[in-house]
Amino acid sequence: MTQITLNQALQKHYSRNQRWGFTWAIWVAVLWGAWYVPGTALWFEKPFSDIAADDQAMMLGATAVMTWVHAIAVLFFLLLWNTMLGKVKDYGRTLFRFRKISKWYALASLCGGPMAIFGSYMAMGFIGPVFAAITSLFYPIVGAIIARLWYKEKISSRAALGMVIIIMGGTVIYAPGLFGEVESSNPNMWLGYLGGLMSAIGWGAEGAVAARAMDVSDPDTGIQCRFTFEVLFWGVIILPLIVLFTDLPIADFIVATVTESSAMLWIVLASACHAYSYTAFYKSFSLIGVGRGQAIGNLYAIFALAFIAAFTLQLPEWYFVVGLVFVVAGTFVMFTEPAESVINLRDQQAPA
Amino acid sequence: MKLHQKAYLLVELNKADSTWDYQLVEKALEEYSVSGSRWVNTFRVALDELAAAGLVDSTEKKLDDGTHVGTDKVLFKYQLTEFGRTRMRETGLL
Repeated sequence: MTQITLNQALQKHYSRNQRWGFTWAIWVAVLWGAWYVPGTALWFEKPFSDIAADDQAMMLGATAVMTWVHAIAVLFFLLLWNTMLGKVKDYGRTLFRFRKISKWYALASLCGGPMAIFGSYMAMGFIGPVFAAITSLFYPIVGAIIARLWYKEKISSRAALGMVIIIMGGTVIYAPGLFGEVESSNPNMWLGYLGGLMSAIGWGAEGAVAARAMDVSDPDTGIQCRFTFEVLFWGVIILPLIVLFTDLPIADFIVATVTESSAMLWIVLASACHAYSYTAFYKSFSLIGVGRGQAIGNLYAIFALAFIAAFTLQLPEWYFVVGLVFVVAGTFVMFTEPAESVINLRDQQAPA
Repeated sequence: MKLHQKAYLLVELNKADSTWDYQLVEKALEEYSVSGSRWVNTFRVALDELAAAGLVDSTEKKLDDGTHVGTDKVLFKYQLTEFGRTRMRETGLL
């Protein structure tokens, strides 16, 4: 029998952690990409398909209802996950410490939910889906910068290079479609730009804020705390405010959504993808850091188009292949970082 | 109410200068009345996460002869870093 040395065993240990971190991040991309299929199909089902495309107020109201019902279903899938892991009690213990710990998950849910998702829908509505997709691709840069400035997360030059290549790849995939989308005559275009900015800053900030909370709490329970707060924000604050200050039939729309089996089927499928994509997202941050986790998560651009192509039987354009080469190369650059680079993700004496 | 698991590990680490991971895991298993290799791995991963985040640091390492976790697995002796103490104070754990 061959005996291994301590150094060999250590190398194996750190490589295993690094591999797990990247594996979780790749699951983020696969499930996030898969989410676009039920997420898009939902708009073709009643009651959403009955909304006129130019009825912006109703579209935004419907989006709020959709996001809330979706968040409730995500919370259910996360509860299932933590029940299987035996971590439900730990979720309760973490949630209970609101003033010092779980408040950060509440902030993360504000960044990721009402800011990023709403911003993304604004970008889609006022400019177009391609613009929204491209602006979202830049969120790892925001996340990495916040994590660097706030708590000194280390970003090696190789990791930074990998990030840039992955973002370039994503841009190559979507950019050609942008030319048909941007119309300079559109007076509401600034709202689209604002929305795009909100989505990049929102998702980037969510990762950095959540990682701050995960310093002292578990990612599996943390993500459940985050969605608990999102359900509360939409259900207790935002939707009631919409009901109070607008004439939108929010209550009727909620009933119409939950009683429509086709719509609920897509919501349940989308929520399952989103729940476990987000779980993997948070788990990757603890092992490889926010910058790397988010950059690999950006591979969703590839998987989203691949899944949509598989379901619509329409082959993507040639530039998809060029983008694919970029993102795979970027991932490879990051994955070939030495395993030692993820032993300690922070510069010591990191500030609060 | 008991502390959540990661917080418990930090609080236990704060009680001594440094502690071996298998000793911490044994205490955690007892505290939360759980057992089995899955839970041992859960707590060991939590310690890896704390080390990656810079809250704890390993002062000593040795190969397991099969007594604690498994043959040829690395055992770590951890201590709380100054940054770990700061985070504990900020999050009400100290």
